[in-house]
Amino acid sequence: MEQAIDFKGRIKSKLGVNPQDATISLTYFTISFATLLIGGILGLIQGLERAGLYQLPAGFNYYQVLSAHGLLLLVVFTATFTMGYQLANLSHSFDGLLPKVRKMVWIGIVLKLIGVVLSVTTIVLGEASVLYTFYPPLAAHPIFYVGLVFLVLGIWAVSFGVMINYRYWRKQHPSQTTPILAFFAMGVFVLWFFASLGVTIEVFMIIPWVLGWIETINVMVTRTLFWWFGHTLVNIWYLVATSAWYVIVPKIIGGKHFNEKLIRLVIILLVVLNIPGGFHHQIIDPAISISIKFLHVFMSLSIAVPSLMTAFAMFYVLEKAGRNKGGKGLFGWLKKLPWGDVRFLAPMIAMISFIPGGAGGIVNTSNQMNQVIHNTMWVVGHFHITVGVSVVLTFFGICYWLIPHLSKRQLTPRMNKIGVIQTWIWTIGMAIMAGSMHLAGLIGDPRRTSDTTYAGHESALSWLPYEFVFATGATLLMIGVIIQVYAVFNMMFFAPKGTTEFPVAEPEEDQPKVPMWTERWGLWAIVLLAVVAMAYVIPIVDMIVNAPPGSPPIRTW
Amino acid sequence: MKQLKYGIILYIFLILPPVANLLESIMIFHMHTQMPLLVFTGFLIAPFSQKKFAHFFDKWNQSGVPGIVLVILIWSYWQLPRAMDDALTYNVVEYFKFISLPLLVGVPLRDSWKKLKSTGQYIFLIFIFATLVITGFIYIWIDQQICNNYLIIEQQTLGWGSLAMAACLLLYIGYRLFENDEAF
Ligand code: HEM
Ligand SMILES: [Cu+2]
Repeated sequence: MEQAIDFKGRIKSKLGVNPQDATISLTYFTISFATLLIGGILGLIQGLERAGLYQLPAGFNYYQVLSAHGLLLLVVFTATFTMGYQLANLSHSFDGLLPKVRKMVWIGIVLKLIGVVLSVTTIVLGEASVLYTFYPPLAAHPIFYVGLVFLVLGIWAVSFGVMINYRYWRKQHPSQTTPILAFFAMGVFVLWFFASLGVTIEVFMIIPWVLGWIETINVMVTRTLFWWFGHTLVNIWYLVATSAWYVIVPKIIGGKHFNEKLIRLVIILLVVLNIPGGFHHQIIDPAISISIKFLHVFMSLSIAVPSLMTAFAMFYVLEKAGRNKGGKGLFGWLKKLPWGDVRFLAPMIAMISFIPGGAGGIVNTSNQMNQVIHNTMWVVGHFHITVGVSVVLTFFGICYWLIPHLSKRQLTPRMNKIGVIQTWIWTIGMAIMAGSMHLAGLIGDPRRTSDTTYAGHESALSWLPYEFVFATGATLLMIGVIIQVYAVFNMMFFAPKGTTEFPVAEPEEDQPKVPMWTERWGLWAIVLLAVVAMAYVIPIVDMIVNAPPGSPPIRTW
Repeated sequence: MKQLKYGIILYIFLILPPVANLLESIMIFHMHTQMPLLVFTGFLIAPFSQKKFAHFFDKWNQSGVPGIVLVILIWSYWQLPRAMDDALTYNVVEYFKFISLPLLVGVPLRDSWKKLKSTGQYIFLIFIFATLVITGFIYIWIDQQICNNYLIIEQQTLGWGSLAMAACLLLYIGYRLFENDEAF
């Protein structure tokens, strides 16, 4: 009986997309890739400026450009892509969103756009060159922070919508487990909601301070609240990317997805353990005692557990699919994988790059090694590998089936080829840029610094060759951005009409039933809060009770 | 049997001197991490002892009430600041902690939990909630050092931590009362 329902459900969703939901996702993708184009141009400018090959016109400065690049790419591009993709997954799993939820999502889009416009305008006017981390005591124009409030409200509107829809579906289907992609979406939005609580508190500390209602601010508390959010954001992308790795990639290579119980366990662990990892961004911060930092190494490394589970699960799935196609020997199965299919190639390179990315992350989170690389270009290299490849290439790969699916068009062989070329350009560009950034960082080249010649000092000059290499990589990446943006809008508006499959893998045969206890999202949220409470209470009480006098707002530019 | 194995591994890990020392060096980890984890090892060991001593549990803990009373007594004892202090000062008390929390709290708690009706379970949860709130406020407000081994700031931290845990417990009680998202 259950099977019959399932079967019918699947038939129905095969019939095509809900046009109203498709508009929502395509709107998000439009914003997302327009942002990528602007952010990419700014990235190229930075690469050229650092190498001394280009000078910004008078009236603009490097930190202004860097603030825009960070904010646009980190908060706007990835977030809008995530929403478009996750809402498409939800709509596909549930055969359409609830009308009420659709309305909430549109409200979310409008709030988000207002937020972006307000914040970015202040940056363009030179009133908010505070970088995307906006650490106090740097103080931007108050409107910048008001924009951030709208951004958060935009996230909340969508998060509540997803939670309402999920709960509704569970009520309607009491004996079924939720489709795995919807389970992922729930994880993403639960994490997003709780992540944004930290930054919301921070922004409401900052606004009265920049308005002059209060004189000073507790710098340590604001930094801690920022990374509560900032670190979690990273793992939200990661969760989004793994949703494609676990569920979409196996279908594309003609395989089955891994044991669903394990997948759900990975999601729950990532959601529950995540937020306290934020402290690994503060290893060099004073005012957090060594024993607390030591305990937080465990919190931060605990994320390696679900990551390794993912790595093993994925290799299992890939090898099995390759062998089923006749791959022989130790590595023969690798050759049988569809390397010429961009829908596979892009996420595959993304997964592979997670190996150096994860290794670099372990370096960053280890106290002694962090002292070597802290605030150097190494860090910039690290996140251009992790976010710039592992996450972004997965997103790019998703575009090649999701956008034509939503716009009722085809992925033509020509477009597939363009995608494959784009993927290689991006991979090579990032390898060159991020690789040289890592090396330059190891010999001390600082990040977030416009001019690093230091009056011609010898060590400073030794960074210069690497900076030329950044610029080369950056140029390749700019070409990659242009091709990708072209591909996205072509598939959205111009590709030949037709249908494109939404590839969702099935479970393997004879899998045990998925345990229902995994569905207790209320309980997971409470456990998350308890973990956060235990992790934050010591440092925060210490920072407040033993606080220094605090800092007035400072404008350095 | 898998649970027994995990329980024993966790127990050995917790009593290793470096681990125990690290957790005990910070008041809130002593109270809100080490002790609950010790109780949790008892939880994991419980199915084994229930099978092994089935007769004993049937005879003495038929309704679950004696077990939960034992749990409440021992747990309350470990809420006393003096008890934590003593555990750090006298080895005997430390050993008693390592034995009493798994065996006299963890095991009977698991044995009693299913036998208690849901009213009994709620009474127990509300009792834990009340202890957290009361000790929380005491630790925050009192401006004297009440443990020899811990500074006032650690005391205050523990107070805030207890209030935060109380809030989580309250959410959990509400969640149990009004929502059962698994079984819609
Ligand atoms: C065309 C592609 C890109 C190029 C050429 C590029 C280049 C750069 C350069 C040169 C920096 C400055 C480093 C410094 O002075 O500290 C930078 C910073 C940064 N990039 Fe990119 N990037 C690109 C794409 C991306 C993408 C796709 C993302 C994220 C999704 C990203 C996120 C960031 C972030 C967060 C920073 C740090 C900003 C800060 O330190 O405040 N970039 N990028
Ligand atoms: Cu992090």
